[in-house]
Amino acid sequence: MTDKNNKIPFNEDNYTHNINRNNERKLDRRGFMKTLVGAAGVFAVSSLPWGVLAAKELNGLGDKKYPKQKITDVKSLPIGDAVEFSFPGEHDSAILIRLSEEKYVAYQNACTHLRCPVFWKKDEGEMLCPCHHGKFDVETGAPTAGPPRRPLPEIYVKVENGSVYAVGVKRYEA
Amino acid sequence: MKRSYVSVALLLAVLFMNIIVTQFMVHQYFYENYTNTIVAAVINVILFPAAFLIYKKGVKIND
Ligand code: FES
Repeated sequence: MTDKNNKIPFNEDNYTHNINRNNERKLDRRGFMKTLVGAAGVFAVSSLPWGVLAAKELNGLGDKKYPKQKITDVKSLPIGDAVEFSFPGEHDSAILIRLSEEKYVAYQNACTHLRCPVFWKKDEGEMLCPCHHGKFDVETGAPTAGPPRRPLPEIYVKVENGSVYAVGVKRYEA
Repeated sequence: MKRSYVSVALLLAVLFMNIIVTQFMVHQYFYENYTNTIVAAVINVILFPAAFLIYKKGVKIND
């Protein structure tokens, strides 16, 4: 035994002669096909979350429902005036503007720049942010001037028996 | 092309489908066509067992 261990089998300058890699690094047809199947598996697994998210959206879970909330009475809001309220939470300040006899618009009035409260400038017919002079279009909530780039989130309103109600928030679309 | 490479070609076709379907899925998601998104996701999932079957067949026949 000792005898055997002390023998040098043959003259060599590397010590890896007994490691047989058996062509394991060679990419043969079978290995290539395995890779392709694996790739298909990765694709399959990675599409699962998309499917789940889409199913959620379809079930309406993405569209949050808020209880409708009375904002004000029609009588107490003359045409061209605005009133502040909060919707859906008590810290989500919002503004309701009466544009004409029938037409009401409401937005969450935290400026989309740095969240200063946007107010309604009646004589100029636009919504103005006092902080950096951002302006928003009153019909759509789209930014028209200044730093803001995104529209104000619109709140759906409904008029019922002489009162104005907030019924929902429009989903943000990029 | 040897006959033994048919399954390789099929697998490559599967991979190609995977890429197309995935991109379709993501785009449809952002376009908010959620039904299309789910259809694409299901196709993508089904392609995997299909690829596996192709692999099995190809291996059995040729070695
Ligand atoms: S916070 Fe409204 S413009 Fe900057």
